[in-house]
Amino acid sequence: MVPNPKFKQVFVLSTAMLSFISFWKAASIVLCDFGSSAYYAGGIAMNAFGPAFPWFIMVVMLFSGLMLGVYTESCIMFVRGGVYVVVREAMGKVMAKLSVSALIFDYTLTGPISSVTAGLYVGSLLENLLPLLHINWHVPGHAFAVIFAVLVTAYFWRENIRGIEESADNNVKIISFVAVVAVILIAWSGVTLYSRGFTLPPFKPVFTTQALGWTVNFPWLRTAGFIGLIMAFGHSILALSGLETLAQVYREIEDPKVENLKKTVVTIFFFSVFFTGLLTFVSALIIPGDLIAGKYADNLLSGLAIQLSGPYWARLFMQVAVVISGALMLVGAVNTSFVGSNGVLNRVADDGILHDWFRHLHKRYGTTHRLINLVAITQILIIIISGGNIFLLGEAYAFGVLTSMTFNTASMIILRFKHRDEEREWMFPFNIRIDNVYVPVGMMAVLMILLAATGMNMLTKKVATIGGVLFTMTFFSIFHVSEKLNEEKARLYAPDEDNDEKMNLRREVDIHTVVPELTKARRVLVPVRNPNNLVHLAQVLETVEDEDTDIIVLSAKIAKGIQSGGESMSDEDKEVFSAVVLLAEKYGKTVKPIFVFSNDPFYSMAQVAQAAKVDEIVMGVSGSTGAEIQLERLAMAWGMLKKTDAAGKPVLAKVVWEGRQMTYQLS
Amino acid sequence: MIRQSDGVSLSAIINPENIYFLEGKPSREEVVRRLAEKILPQVSGIITGKALFARLAEVEKLNQVLESGFYIPHAKFPELDGFHAVLGICPEGFPDAAAGLTVKVVLLLLSPHKPAFFQRHLNMLSLLSQTFQPELIEKLAALKDPSEVFALIKSK
Repeated sequence: MVPNPKFKQVFVLSTAMLSFISFWKAASIVLCDFGSSAYYAGGIAMNAFGPAFPWFIMVVMLFSGLMLGVYTESCIMFVRGGVYVVVREAMGKVMAKLSVSALIFDYTLTGPISSVTAGLYVGSLLENLLPLLHINWHVPGHAFAVIFAVLVTAYFWRENIRGIEESADNNVKIISFVAVVAVILIAWSGVTLYSRGFTLPPFKPVFTTQALGWTVNFPWLRTAGFIGLIMAFGHSILALSGLETLAQVYREIEDPKVENLKKTVVTIFFFSVFFTGLLTFVSALIIPGDLIAGKYADNLLSGLAIQLSGPYWARLFMQVAVVISGALMLVGAVNTSFVGSNGVLNRVADDGILHDWFRHLHKRYGTTHRLINLVAITQILIIIISGGNIFLLGEAYAFGVLTSMTFNTASMIILRFKHRDEEREWMFPFNIRIDNVYVPVGMMAVLMILLAATGMNMLTKKVATIGGVLFTMTFFSIFHVSEKLNEEKARLYAPDEDNDEKMNLRREVDIHTVVPELTKARRVLVPVRNPNNLVHLAQVLETVEDEDTDIIVLSAKIAKGIQSGGESMSDEDKEVFSAVVLLAEKYGKTVKPIFVFSNDPFYSMAQVAQAAKVDEIVMGVSGSTGAEIQLERLAMAWGMLKKTDAAGKPVLAKVVWEGRQMTYQLS
Repeated sequence: MIRQSDGVSLSAIINPENIYFLEGKPSREEVVRRLAEKILPQVSGIITGKALFARLAEVEKLNQVLESGFYIPHAKFPELDGFHAVLGICPEGFPDAAAGLTVKVVLLLLSPHKPAFFQRHLNMLSLLSQTFQPELIEKLAALKDPSEVFALIKSK
């Protein structure tokens, strides 16, 4: 087919944000980070304050329900949210940069702590299995863990360069398998406890000198029982890592967005309480104390499997299942650390505080490969420096988790007053209404707990405080310098080759090459022009079913006498599509954005509609011409392009504006 | 058989009596004015000449020549109950600066301004633009007699 000169070029846009995932996929992404702490949190807490650890891990898991509540409210308020956006809105840019810098520290450590733990579990299993195979090799635990962790990081480095969708599918498979193993483990533990009986662990924490950090110089602190509890809570809070991932994933959750978010949150909570909380607890009941502190300190659930009642071969089989599930989940956490940190860095880049160089899109996969490379290299360096010592990594961990959670909660409280008139689809419970403000008493209580734990961790976790502060200040400086460079660029009117919304543009010569990508039963064409007039697109996104309808969003650039083929998208054009992507994310529905050059927008609408065999064309009302003129022009363009022998499929043409719409049929 | 689509038919608006040849190279405004004078007897007693010219001058700002080189100046009047049209053939054509095209065939269409009739109005516009493609327009411009024009349109 000879391309029509009116229709010189077709740009098909694709960004990483235009595909949406189910609540279960979203939950699995978060759980791979959030739930993976079950494999190491207990051992690290035991190492810090002794046999009381299961109580505190369980308390932390129950506390996660409150934090999930805070994050649910913030996610609903900000589709492209996360701690940076929430804190910026409430406290301003400086505090937002500070909070997100701390968060990057958390994400950067999530990968190493997870992959090293996985390596330790696999190493421990090999130690048991190799003698049975008459192989007398000693597996050097820490060295093996380092090599394993580096390989896993490299694998997910490559996967994330290739794109998130595939990674999300992997997470679902991992969590499904882990859930099966966990159910068997819990049931078997129940039988073991029933047959052997048990003694509850002590509730009073007994801190090691290292776990006391700088408070070792203030013995009076330990005499206050409540402070000891906060200390132990702080040492256990590393089990809470992963909430920011929820905020990052929310934009990708499919319609109905809020309902699916609630399902995601409930799934995460119950899985975490039963998996991390309960399994850690039964481990403490079943594994002898000396083995928890020694042989199984860095592979607690392996120890649980081996210490169950029953024949050795069955327990060994259970250990194999635990290690496979653990390794899968922990390496899934590595993936989550990539996805999360990439998402957070993209969010701050959207706001101009990260230099555009970092946001360059991979030519083939459309991912922000330089950010992913940065995360991967940093993680591999941390793995090597740690030497496979999980306690060192655990000591450093949680700084970012607590800092970002504290900032996020404080910001949500401020926003209750600052955005008092904003209607919220869901609010964290326990509020007192005074005039038009819902005073967040519940959230204030959560903030008190977080502030206490943050303060205590700063004093007790030396490595976390020193490492966290250094890392945070480094990233804060990068953000600050980037922001200044971007401001300078803007001041000098330097044309920026990239727009805020990073888009992958694919150029086609003809609309017919795009049509095979439309695979759903129904098709709706939504022409767009003005980023501030997308009421019609919002109505389509609200009403159509994503499962059976392709939504084609068409922007036709008016270009008189186009013939050269050298046209390109302007910043204004990209602004339109940024608005489209944001709206699609808000509703969690997939759209197919197409950009064309044409000297008649109605001609391009009719051509795309006929080529794609759409069922409906939904236009926004034009302030300059009005709905009737729009429909007349479309009808004329429709007739002009319609082939005499074309099948008479009824096509509806709608013009939509606030509270009204006109619907007619094109013949 | 003259073309028809979803309740509208060209036979309802085109017949040899309302086909006119426009000699020379008149401007777009001149063409519309001349066709308006031709259509006025069809609507006399319903719309005054003053109202017709005023309305056409108003909608002319919004009407556009189609890419096929066919022009449909059209206006809607609440007083009307059905379509009224005249077809103008301009063998030499006239340039339309806005579209950058030479226009040789023009159909002035008047429709009822009633919500219930708007669907038929759209169908008629669609049918007209589907029928008057560049190939037909060139053939029509080469003809000399309204009955030949009608016969050719009828044959499409």
